[in-house]
Amino acid sequence: MNHHDVQQMTYRIAMVTLVAIAVGIAGSLAAIGFVEAVHWLNDLLLISPYARVQAGNQPGLVALATLVVPTLGGLLVGLVTRYLIRERRGLAPPDAILAAQTPGPTPGFRSGLASTLAALLSLGSGASVGQYGPLVYLGAMFGNLVGRLRLNLRHQRSIAIACGVAAAISTAFNAPIAGLVFAHEVILRHYSLRAFAPVTVAAATGYIIANVIFDRPALFLVEFSRVEHSYEFLLFALEGVLCAGLAWVFLRLLRLSSRVSRRYIAPVWARPAVAGLLVGLVALWIPEILGIGQETLRFATIENAFGISELTLIVVAKLVLTSLCLGFGFVGGVFSPALLIGILFGALYGTVLPHLVPVAYSGPVVYAICGMMALASSVIGAPLTTILIVFELTRNYDLTIAAMVAVVFANVVSYRAIGRSLFDLELRARGFDLTLGRDKAILESRPIRDYLSTRYTTAQGMESVETVRQRLAREQRAEAMVVDNRGILLGVIRLQAIINSAPDTPILRLALRDFTRFDEKTSVWQSMELLRGFLGEAVPLVSGEGQLLGVVPEEAVIRAYLEIVHELREEENEGA
Amino acid sequence: MKGPDLLVILLFSCVLPPQGWAAEQPAPDTEAEQPEPEVLTVATWGGAYEDSQRRAYFEPFTRATGIAIETVPYDGGIRPLKRHLAGGEVTWDVIDMIESDADVACAQELLEPIEPDILLPTPDGTSAQEDFMKGAIQPCFITHLVFSTVIAYNDEAFPGEKPDSVEDFFDLETFPGKRALRLSPTGLFEWALLSLSVPPEQVYDLLSTPRGMELASERLDSIRDSIIWWQNGEEPALLLASGQATMATGYNGRFFHARVMNDVPISVIWDGQLIGFNSWAIPRGTAQTEQAQAFIAFATRTDRMAAHANLISYGPTRDSARKRIGLHTDNRVAMQPHMPTAPGHMDHALMRDHRWYSKTVDLRERWFKAWLSEKDATP
Repeated sequence: MNHHDVQQMTYRIAMVTLVAIAVGIAGSLAAIGFVEAVHWLNDLLLISPYARVQAGNQPGLVALATLVVPTLGGLLVGLVTRYLIRERRGLAPPDAILAAQTPGPTPGFRSGLASTLAALLSLGSGASVGQYGPLVYLGAMFGNLVGRLRLNLRHQRSIAIACGVAAAISTAFNAPIAGLVFAHEVILRHYSLRAFAPVTVAAATGYIIANVIFDRPALFLVEFSRVEHSYEFLLFALEGVLCAGLAWVFLRLLRLSSRVSRRYIAPVWARPAVAGLLVGLVALWIPEILGIGQETLRFATIENAFGISELTLIVVAKLVLTSLCLGFGFVGGVFSPALLIGILFGALYGTVLPHLVPVAYSGPVVYAICGMMALASSVIGAPLTTILIVFELTRNYDLTIAAMVAVVFANVVSYRAIGRSLFDLELRARGFDLTLGRDKAILESRPIRDYLSTRYTTAQGMESVETVRQRLAREQRAEAMVVDNRGILLGVIRLQAIINSAPDTPILRLALRDFTRFDEKTSVWQSMELLRGFLGEAVPLVSGEGQLLGVVPEEAVIRAYLEIVHELREEENEGA
Repeated sequence: MKGPDLLVILLFSCVLPPQGWAAEQPAPDTEAEQPEPEVLTVATWGGAYEDSQRRAYFEPFTRATGIAIETVPYDGGIRPLKRHLAGGEVTWDVIDMIESDADVACAQELLEPIEPDILLPTPDGTSAQEDFMKGAIQPCFITHLVFSTVIAYNDEAFPGEKPDSVEDFFDLETFPGKRALRLSPTGLFEWALLSLSVPPEQVYDLLSTPRGMELASERLDSIRDSIIWWQNGEEPALLLASGQATMATGYNGRFFHARVMNDVPISVIWDGQLIGFNSWAIPRGTAQTEQAQAFIAFATRTDRMAAHANLISYGPTRDSARKRIGLHTDNRVAMQPHMPTAPGHMDHALMRDHRWYSKTVDLRERWFKAWLSEKDATP
């Protein structure tokens, strides 16, 4: 190793570490600030039970706040989304995944801030949405910012984004290993050492900061000694399968709700306000559905805190209202609601179980935790992360194994029924399909346009066969593109088709009218599909108006494929 | 112009030893105008606590200023203060209140404002603002003491396994016997939830929901028939000593006194201790606000607060006083390990949320009344 290489390596390691720490600190502090701001707003706006009980001598005021706050909050969210976010929708983990996976343009910093504001208003005013989605985007946003610096690091953007996300999750859950795994499992989708090392540093940074200045109680804290009977693992597996079904229902409701909002409420900015009003009306009757519901989540781990009918009612109400809020345009995530619905469903399962299967069991608490993680992992497609969250928060081996069984069975079923996660479904709707793995998605995301060649032979429609034959011979090609005087592609001429034709025949009469062509949007993947059965030299690429922009030789398609796949393999197998 | 004179005296008394000062001091102006000797009335909590206050605050104050101190019994709450003020003539000059009560009383304008400048700096010149615990200096009360409401048991009642958690307080099977609880909607529901392994940080969030209160009620139902109610702070130790109750909740200083001074076999369970604060305040309408302020300035001096902590195991809210805690004045027991804030005692402690307390007075009383009457309803 020469002097220059050593210098390069030292620079790289030092810079990557610095990036990880800087992004880690930013992501972690942003997460803390966000969560604190949500709590502050909830207290200020009489959304949190803590604030509501203190205004207990003015029941009219509390009821008024219940109706007005989510409605006005929805209106503000609608306006912010309409006028401040360029994308006109809340930015979420799918945007972070896309930014990490593809080199294309990402939502701007301003859009990111506006989206965070919209999420803050949504959560602050009690909408039934989650906080982790916005936190993940917040972390990704800082990563993206650092990704733009000219530091001359390979895969700088994807690694920096993963660092931000890992720090945010590590801080929010106080679970650094879960943060680290989440960034790989959901955002990067590979485990190369080059990414692993800085992401670990960022997750640890988030954990340290969280421990120093963040003082929120853990998401859940349960006392559980051990799983008493081995047959209970069958019950955990069954619970997992049921949770997969619940995840399916959840996604169906989400889709239904956004369809309903599109059909019945024309102005986009007014939709969240309508959802807010409905949330307020239901909250007058079931206050548990307001906001993140951390009190409800805690009660679910206490035996006998709820009756069976209460649990059923809250599960249904929370499912419907979360779908309503998200479908109608409140900005927020799906993870916290999924955790809450899951834990309540798990508690319900654990409470009903002894009536159905009269055998001894370990009490409802373990079933509540299993339900929480099984549903949440199906929705966000992160089985490892959720298993690790249980482990890091409880440090209880038995509980983790139980949750693991439920999570895995839930994922096996939900993968078949709905796909890997809600995020992947959203990305697929936007044309980035991860169902067949990263390779296909990335080949789908790169346009073949990048491999365009301008070295080709053209012919005007009225030129004679002889002229074209001579030109092809001179330029040593077997194909000519027939265009009109505006450059519109009319057809393709192959040498073998004109070799015996009368010399003065106008070339257009012999041109192939039905031929393979690419356009500006054709991806590398599509170009490979289109090349099936193709016999020519190069494929013409035309603009939307039909203008010939250039050709893509067969060789270039193969080159594109090899280059991209090689790049991916390299990224996935890089050392530190 | 009574105020400045008294403050001057206090400033002096800070420098000079209080003993013997009374003889030398010039007769204050006030005495010339008022033929009777001045008397300041302090409403406070009686028992071992009042004794310690007498020795650390009242007697030295009288020696320093010539103003005698008389006490009237007060067991907490807003109602006794309201009743007294409604009576017309205000004879209570100083009152020692739980912080949340003081907060409510202040908001309801039952208290005189207190000038923060009356608080004296530490002997080494650190200002009171820096020295006092954060939030201790308020417009109409000065928080002076950290106390803790704890669960204690009679050691002889459980010769085998000893209780060591809040959960054990509710476990009548393993630890049989009567439970002594204060007849007041304070502390009960916190312990009920703590015993269901709710983490201390979330107790008040959960108690803010009807479901949380309902859970607490159900938990208390499980020991309903074994409860003995107490009202005065001295009672719990007595109930334990006499064997009427095997476990009791009470103020940590009183249990300390019974155990260390009177040799009663009482052990304290620090798990789930409820940390609270006491504050000095001046009832609105007293004729002696100047003297009352002078007393508060005197009683919050570093040396006085340290002297008090060396008599009973309640923590002072001044950093400088905390550093001066040593051995018990009478029997040389090290005081630090008995403080609520001692290392290890805070692991599972609950800070009484005084904002929540002051805003939920009505709710808690309603709940308590309803819960008590359920008892009559059941045959």
